Amino acid sequence: MPIGDFAFLIPLLPALAFVITFFLGKKMYAGGALVPIGAITLSFVISLLITLNLLQNPDQIVAQSVDWFGAFNLGILIDPLAAVMLTMVSFVSLLIHIYSVGYMEHDKSKPRYFAETALFTCSMLGLILSDNILQMFVFWELVGLSSYLLIGFWYGKPSAASAAKKAFLTTRIGDVMFLAGIIILFSDLFAIFNGFPDNAYMLQFTEMFNHIPEIAGMSAQIFGFEVSHLTLITLLFFGGAVGKSGQFPLHVWLPDAMEGPTTVSALIHAATMVTAGVYLVARTFPMFISAPDTLIVIAYLGGFTALFAATMAIVMNDLKRVLAYSTISQLGYMMLGLGMGAVIGMEAVGLSIFHLINHAFFKALLFLCAGSVIHAVGTHDMRELGGVGKLMPITAITMLIAGLSLAGFGIPGTIIGTSGFLSKDAIIEAAFLFGEQSHNWLPYIFAIVGAFLTSAYIFRLLFMTFTGKPRTDYEGHESPSSMTVPMVILAAFSLFFGMFTTGMFSRFLGDTFNFINMNLNELATSLGNYELLHEAGHEPLIILWLPLILAVAGLLITYLIYHRRVLDFSVSRNNPVYKLIYNRYYQNEILTEGFAIKVVYEGLSLALYHIDRGINWIVNAIGSALTEAGHMFRHVQTGVVQNYATAIIAGVSLLAILVKIIMEVI
Amino acid sequence: MLPVLSMLILVPLIFAVITFFTKTKEQARTTALTGSVISLVLALYMYMNFDSSIASLQFVEISKWVPSLGITYSVGVDGVSMPLILLNAIVIPFLIIYSWNEENPYPNRFFGLILAMQGAVIGVFAALDFFLFYVFWELTLIPLYFMVSQWGGPNKDFAAIKFFIYTHVASLVMLLGIFALYFTAWSQTGSPTFNIQELLTQFQSFEAPLVKDAIFIALLFGFIVKIPTFPFHSWLPDAYTESPIAGNVLFILLKIGGYGLFRIMLPILPFTGTPNLMISIMAVLGTASIIYGAFVALSQRDFKRMIAFASVSHMGFVVLGSAGLVSLSVSGAMFQQFSHGLILSVMFMSVGVIQTNAGTRIINQLGGLSKKMPKLALIMVVVFMASLGLPGLTGFVAEFLVLTSSYVNLPGYVLAVMIGIVITAAYHLWAMQRSMFGVYNEKLGDVKDLTNYQSLSMAVISLLVIYFGLNPNPVLDMMITNSEHIVSLLSVAGV
Repeated sequence: MPIGDFAFLIPLLPALAFVITFFLGKKMYAGGALVPIGAITLSFVISLLITLNLLQNPDQIVAQSVDWFGAFNLGILIDPLAAVMLTMVSFVSLLIHIYSVGYMEHDKSKPRYFAETALFTCSMLGLILSDNILQMFVFWELVGLSSYLLIGFWYGKPSAASAAKKAFLTTRIGDVMFLAGIIILFSDLFAIFNGFPDNAYMLQFTEMFNHIPEIAGMSAQIFGFEVSHLTLITLLFFGGAVGKSGQFPLHVWLPDAMEGPTTVSALIHAATMVTAGVYLVARTFPMFISAPDTLIVIAYLGGFTALFAATMAIVMNDLKRVLAYSTISQLGYMMLGLGMGAVIGMEAVGLSIFHLINHAFFKALLFLCAGSVIHAVGTHDMRELGGVGKLMPITAITMLIAGLSLAGFGIPGTIIGTSGFLSKDAIIEAAFLFGEQSHNWLPYIFAIVGAFLTSAYIFRLLFMTFTGKPRTDYEGHESPSSMTVPMVILAAFSLFFGMFTTGMFSRFLGDTFNFINMNLNELATSLGNYELLHEAGHEPLIILWLPLILAVAGLLITYLIYHRRVLDFSVSRNNPVYKLIYNRYYQNEILTEGFAIKVVYEGLSLALYHIDRGINWIVNAIGSALTEAGHMFRHVQTGVVQNYATAIIAGVSLLAILVKIIMEVI
Repeated sequence: MLPVLSMLILVPLIFAVITFFTKTKEQARTTALTGSVISLVLALYMYMNFDSSIASLQFVEISKWVPSLGITYSVGVDGVSMPLILLNAIVIPFLIIYSWNEENPYPNRFFGLILAMQGAVIGVFAALDFFLFYVFWELTLIPLYFMVSQWGGPNKDFAAIKFFIYTHVASLVMLLGIFALYFTAWSQTGSPTFNIQELLTQFQSFEAPLVKDAIFIALLFGFIVKIPTFPFHSWLPDAYTESPIAGNVLFILLKIGGYGLFRIMLPILPFTGTPNLMISIMAVLGTASIIYGAFVALSQRDFKRMIAFASVSHMGFVVLGSAGLVSLSVSGAMFQQFSHGLILSVMFMSVGVIQTNAGTRIINQLGGLSKKMPKLALIMVVVFMASLGLPGLTGFVAEFLVLTSSYVNLPGYVLAVMIGIVITAAYHLWAMQRSMFGVYNEKLGDVKDLTNYQSLSMAVISLLVIYFGLNPNPVLDMMITNSEHIVSLLSVAGV
């Protein structure tokens, strides 16, 4: 039996683990942790075998599907893109699960924790291997549900309950845009098929991609602009990705999401949630690449988010919050990479997903290290930390490796460097080419300034946490090996994965969309995309070296400020710029309190509440007027059922006669 | 062959009478449960022998009644009515189990009314004769009226009479429409009939457009007040708030308004290929209900009132999907009725438990209940998520079908509904956050969790919400068969 036949087990095993652990976990060892660990191990093995098989036989993609309901299907599509994602997600999730055994040791609700993380993993794996957009949306929403449950894991804390709700609602705004995109796509396909097709499934990726030219030909008038349906659909899909992948302005939920256990943050930030948005765009990239206007929007918004979030990361004092903004910023780079489809065509998928995978390794590691520190020391305020490196050498070294990978240390022009260096610099270089080709220079400027800030915020974090002297009294010790072993493994991947796979990775992902027989790059050019660049790598030397120079600069400046303390960079707390950034550009005040509470709740909802009371008053007034009139006939109300029955029959007969007369007249 | 369908109508009615004459609570509830279980078995037997690949009526029974006026006793089911009969037959036994240990001064009447209601509602779904249809239609008012006025909250008399008069006036308008239909057809063919199918066919050949429009509006009015849609919903919040929980569930199972849309309105829709005034009216009412219900629900403080407006909002999908006029949008509307019946039943049961055990159902006065009521919290998360349209649960299947397929004919309306979807998520989650999560409100004292009877009935229905959400085909297939039939007739009539 080919390994592909077992593909359905990849999401199913964690789903079963969810049910078993939830109901029976209490009676098992470690709160039933071994059930999801076993299930996800198997999912990982199957994913890995499928990936290895695909590496050797690129044409042996897994494609299976069965009827679901209506005109829709359930199906599995594992091509190179899905294969690498499945392998990464199951692998990182597995390590986080193993780490959690130690981390959650003292929590009473362990069965619920492990059940919900299994559900989380199941949802993400199911999302990745979907072969149609409806099924993807289903798992997309289940990812949202799992994150809701896990962010609110300690639901007794009001802040956790509130953060869970905020995460669900904010991403829901994106979800609704995604749904709107699906709905428009559906009606376009309905028009193209002239009804429901007999021998094809609506909303399967193959059908969607095969009809790109027709969809691009349809257009709608929006505010006087002629917009192609393809642009509209892709923009709405991207809207969904903006919510899930924490892009500006729907990123507000992500920093609050740290209310859950740190391991949950690791899952959300690395493997299971925020990458879903990037994956959605990558999965449907044949549509995006044929809608160049959307790609420009993605490039700008991705670049802006990369910079915007990095500015906030640099002033935060909470360990987890710095990492949260770091994730938003890095997701911006991934989106920017996808936007580069405008100049490098389908290769943008490989470019972006390579960074997604590398980021998963080093970001999961950063969170696990942070968790290790919090577990040992009990605080995540960096102002109270310091000198932790001596207490926890493994944590310190692995976190340093993750930091180097995030900041992008490596030798430009070669394949020697940390994983993050190889993937992020490729994106920044592509942004430079994009600037040259299209004269849109802003995304490149965002990306390069962001690179400097990235290095600065992560070394600020490392110096403040691990070096110097403790700022408060605490004692700590290195975490148990169930926690450090996953960290060391992730550190190895953060350091070496890029070096071993760069080149091979983009070749492999180049085969992703072979299941549709189209030259997508040519199609895109014919639909108005830029002339694609086929010879990358002719950038000036300074452009190649600039990211590294800025990263080193970031390191040096933070070294001087936070370690040697020779530079005093402290600004007054009342400095308006500092205040603006420290208060996170007042997004909470504007979006949550201003929009959600003032406009939606106090404005619309309460206004309609009063209107409803008005309608009710009118109805009651008519009712009591009639009752008054009824008092004139009070003596008729005898209360005897027989009389009512006679009255009803008489009334109905009268009514019948009345109608009869009216009909005769007409 | 056994007259299964007639038995299915009669068994609950007969057991209702028996239950009325029982002396003790033990006797009352056991009799009622027996009656409802027999109904369930009969309904399942029908379902097993139902052919979901054909659109024609099955289990048809016809006998003469008043030949001179064309009145017959004729009943039958198709893909439109079968799922709704099944819904009633499934939920009622669990409603009785849920109410098993409730404090009750008149258990015989209480359980009797539940069964009487079941018989009347199934009668409406089964009737193929307009006269019979109207008799059962009016019969459903009586148990609900007494449910609210006898077992209701502080404002029960007002709420009961308001509900009775409001929907009764609407029913009378509908009756006018039925008579107009009947007499016009009679004068055209020369022989009287109350047969629904025949009258609807005759309707197409009526000549005066004014008569057709008047009949259409009169019938539509009867149905949309019953559904109800904005702005004819004012009876609902009062009735739902004052009603006892069993009454709430009976209200939820009263799917006769939406049923009327599929059985009567769609076959006589003056559809000519492009949206016209009647379709626009339905689309506007549906869309407005969805958005309006969601926004008003957001600002409610009483849990029951919030669910009442959620119900208005959900039922908007039934009207919108019907107006969508694509086979899958109509099926989606039918499935929404089924789904809504399951989900809202459990939501009301949850609120009932909260009210009895915590002493209040004002959302802000609760807080952190999941600490003391973990079982309830689990079930509430499932049904609240279902109610806000989470995929994998029944609500999503219905909404997805309605939204995607309605967009083909009614794009603007569907995009407007998108606003409602976000608000729907907001009021569900906000209510959960304030009542179930956060710090436990110590003022509530030591609140008890679900009893075994309550857990059983709520868990079973919740599992059905999950099952039909993952695999809607057991009921959706027959709905699709019949919607395709309805829509195909429309395009023929429209040419």
